[in-house]
Parts: sequence; structure tokens; C-alpha cells
Amino acid sequence: MRPERRFGATGSLGASVGVLVLGLAAAWASGRVLDLRAGDLAPGAGGWQLAGDFFGRALRPALAFEGAYDGGRLGVVLQAGRAAVTTVAFAAAAVSLSLVGGLVMGFLGSSAWWPGRRAAAVTVPVRLLAAAMRSVHELIWAVLLLAAFGTDRLVAVLAIAIPYAGTLAKVFAEMIDEAPRDAAGALAAAGASPLQGFAVGLLPRAVPDMTAYAFYRFECALRSAAVLGFFGFPTLGYYLSASFENLHYGEVWTYLYALFVLVLAVDAWSGRLRREVTR
Amino acid sequence: MSARAAEVARLWRTRPRRPFVAWSVRALGLIFAASWLLGGFQASGWLTPRRQANLARFLHEIRPWPVRDTAWDDGAVRAWMADLWRLHGGGALMATLAVSVAAIVLAAAVGALAAPLAARTFACPEPFVRGGRPPRWTSRAAWTGVGAAVRFGLVVLRAIPEYVWAFLLLALLGPSAWPMVLALAVHNAGILGKLGAEVVENTGTAAPGALRALGASRRQIAFVGLVPLGLPRWLLYVFYRWETCVREAAVLGMLGMSSLGFWIVDARARNRYDEMLFYVAAGALLVLAGDLVSAFVRRAVRRA
Repeated sequence: MRPERRFGATGSLGASVGVLVLGLAAAWASGRVLDLRAGDLAPGAGGWQLAGDFFGRALRPALAFEGAYDGGRLGVVLQAGRAAVTTVAFAAAAVSLSLVGGLVMGFLGSSAWWPGRRAAAVTVPVRLLAAAMRSVHELIWAVLLLAAFGTDRLVAVLAIAIPYAGTLAKVFAEMIDEAPRDAAGALAAAGASPLQGFAVGLLPRAVPDMTAYAFYRFECALRSAAVLGFFGFPTLGYYLSASFENLHYGEVWTYLYALFVLVLAVDAWSGRLRREVTR
Repeated sequence: MSARAAEVARLWRTRPRRPFVAWSVRALGLIFAASWLLGGFQASGWLTPRRQANLARFLHEIRPWPVRDTAWDDGAVRAWMADLWRLHGGGALMATLAVSVAAIVLAAAVGALAAPLAARTFACPEPFVRGGRPPRWTSRAAWTGVGAAVRFGLVVLRAIPEYVWAFLLLALLGPSAWPMVLALAVHNAGILGKLGAEVVENTGTAAPGALRALGASRRQIAFVGLVPLGLPRWLLYVFYRWETCVREAAVLGMLGMSSLGFWIVDARARNRYDEMLFYVAAGALLVLAGDLVSAFVRRAVRRA
């Protein structure tokens, strides 16, 4: 037994050190390519002014609108609440759609779903399609779909759902294939059909992990939906960028805190779920 | 038969249950249903005549312009692609890759420094040793405070999306590659710090505990006891996050910095949909290549 294995290390230390050295060299080369200079890290005079104004409002987020628009004493808070609800709606619609696509493609792409040898004829094309879908970022999908269809709320939902379905398909296929085969094997030995063995023996072993992962993707979709606001959809990003461009920094902080609370709440929810599932 | 049915019923009644998971799934299902019913995402009126005309124009104009109204000609398309590559594509691709690498190395460095302080087994009065004298309450309170503060800081870093970080940093620092690099680094430092803390907590306590019992300092434990044990697993996480960094580095250019995203938005603004598709495809190929490299490295690191 090699020494590093004895204490429960997972993996090769030699390869890791090599990778570390290569990574540092690549980072140095990247700095040269990008012409990154430490001097450019300091903001100019205008930048300092802006940083002071902006961070000065961190502990004093706006409650009412800072501009001429009068929305009442809690105008911004209500607006942030509405935007947060819209963000959740966009994320939920996108994730539910991507779950349909991800489940179908995940089954078709898993080798356990296909009894027999010719599985590759289906699994390989499905996996390639999933790879193509997830290799384009949701914001780039948004630009493409906006160019093709024009502005519509469904465009934002599709922009998130397409790459997420590709990711879910890959992860679901791996979870199905890596689930323990003991029960399915026993059922097959007792005379069950492959479909019965899959549905009763294999799938229940994979479903808890798949559920936990779906919740994690919902958490990611919240961030994606918030950012899609920068493209004009009425989620948190829209109000955040508009307030920033109007120099209403107090409002920016209100929206940032709303985003923060939203992500934190779903993070805690999906984290607890993951712990329950893996327990 | 009825004895068997009763046995089945008994097994069903005593099956392991997870009420939290069951209620979570129901709640998420309700959120899904409500968002479709009330969110205004209906597909009715989705393909109006105007939309159809727009779509037809889009599908016509994504054909490379040298062959837009003629038969497909490989040579002409290849020359067109070579031109785009020379003009902006190659440089933008390099910039995207460089941003992702610089960002992930910064994120990994910050995350590695924060990880032990965020780990409950390390940020405590007497790390890795069980029993012994009970620690003084001041020491316990101090370490609890440090751990909680670092964990909260990491949550703040990762709760704000990269795109929002880049938007804010661009305004503060002005145009250079730094806002992109820092935005990716800040968000991923939050994630890698948390994952690193889990690596520290899940590392066996035998080796660091023995070092501590022999009188090693906290810093000595970290370098001699934790780094060799945790480094491979930690690198797996770093490379997983690097795959995301490549995707995000392309996108952040949309804010006006010179990665692929800038040229995608620029082509869109000039209504050059063929060029837009070229840059999107270049980005997708870069992402796929990054995924392959990452998978290769992860396999090399995992092999013991």
C-alpha cells in the first residue's frame, strides 16, 4: 500500500503536484496574454469616487425610490419583492421544462436503459446532442433566441432550459449508470423483464440523487434568471442594472440583498435536502 | 396468499420515509405549476406572422454571406471563416481561455487559504485531537467566530452571480481584462472555499491528529498533514469549476470586454447573424475542448 493511500487520500499526489505547476505556468502566460498589470487594479480618481458612493450605501439600502418616481415609502422593497417572485417564476418554468428534456435524454443516453449491445447507436447521438446543448451558455442562447424570435418571456425560459436540459441529461445518465445494479440483477435472475428490472430495481437507487441534483439546478437557475434581467426581462437583474445606471446606489443594494436572500434561502433548502438524501 | 398480502402491506407501512424530501418535492411541484399558470409564459401568440417573418429572415441570414444566395461552396466558406478567425476570432478565443485560467488560479489560491478556516474540524480550539483538556471558553468562542465569519464571507462571494460582479467591477475599475478575471475569481473563490472546507472536514483525522499530538503547530498540520491528503480531491473540484469558468469567460465579454461574448453581441448589433453564429460555434468548441482537457486531467489526478 502506498503511503498516501494509508491515510485515506483519494488520488495521485504526484500527478496533482504536476498539474499544480502546469496551472501556475498557464496562469502566468494568461496574465501576459491579457496584459494584466497590478497597476490597473487601482481605480482612477473617478473610480474611487464611484466606489466610495457605491459602498457607502452598502449598509443603507434604499427603501423608497431615489428618483422622481414616487412608489410610496417602501417602493423599492416592494419592487424588489415583485422582481424576486418573477425571478423564481422564470427559474421554475425553465427548470421544469429542462427536467422533461433532461429526463427523456438522460434515459435515452444511459447504457442501463438499453438492454443489449446496440445501445451505442442511440446513446452516442443523444449524448452528443446534450453536449452541444450545454456547450452554449444560457446568456448566449438568449442572444441567439432573441435574434430569432424577438422579445418574449418564453425566450428567457427556453434560453435557460436548453443548456440545463443538456446538463441534466448528462448527470442523470451518469447517475442511472452508476446506481448499484444488485437489485436489478437479482430481479433479472428471478425472471423479471429488463424494463421491470430497470423500473423497480435500478431507478429507485438513482432517484434520490437525481432529486437532489434537480434542486441544485433550481438554485443555479435562480442566478441565471436574475442575470437574464440584464437583457430586458423583468427579473432582479433588470432593476439592478437600471438603478445602477441611474446612479441610485441605495436601490442597487436593495436588489442585491433581495438576490442574496433568495439564493441563500434556496441554497439552504437544497443543502438540507442533499444531506437528507445522502444520509 | 393473504399472509403474503399482509406482509407486503406491513413492508409498505414500515418503508423508510423522508418527510422533508417528500414535502420539498411537493413544494417545488407547486412552484412549477404556479409559474406556468401565472408567469405569462404561454406559447399562444408565440408565432405571429411578424415573428415568422423574423424567424425566416434569421434562418436566411445565418448562412455565411459568401454563399447566402448561391449554392454551398466549401472553399468560399472556409475563406470567410479564416478571415473572421484572423480578424477577431483567434484573439477573442485566446482572451477567453486566458481569462478563465487566470481567474481559476486566483480563485483556487483564495479558496485554498480560506478552506481550512471555514472547516469545522480545523477552525476549532484543538484540531483533529479528541479528548484531552477541555479548551477555555475564550478560545472556543474565538475559533467559532473565525469559522463563522469566513463561512459567511464565502457565502456572500458565491451568492452574487459572476455577471453581476463583472458589471459592478467594470464600473469601478474601468475597461481592462481585470473586471472579468476578478468577477470569475471572486464568485469561484466562494465556491472553492466551501468545497475545500468539505475536503478538509472529510480528510481522515489520523495523520493530522498524530502530528498535533506530537506538538505540530496549526500551520505545520496544514502543510504537512492536510495538503498531501486533500490536494487531489481539491484539484478535481478546481477543474470542475474551471469548466464553468470557460463558459462564463466567453459570456462576460458581453459587458464590453474583449472575450468572445463581445464579438457575439457586436455581430448581433450589426445584424450580421452569420458572424454571430461563427463566434457562438467557436465558443462552443472551446467549451467542449476545455471539458475534454478537464476530464483528462481529472482522470490523471484520480488515478492512484
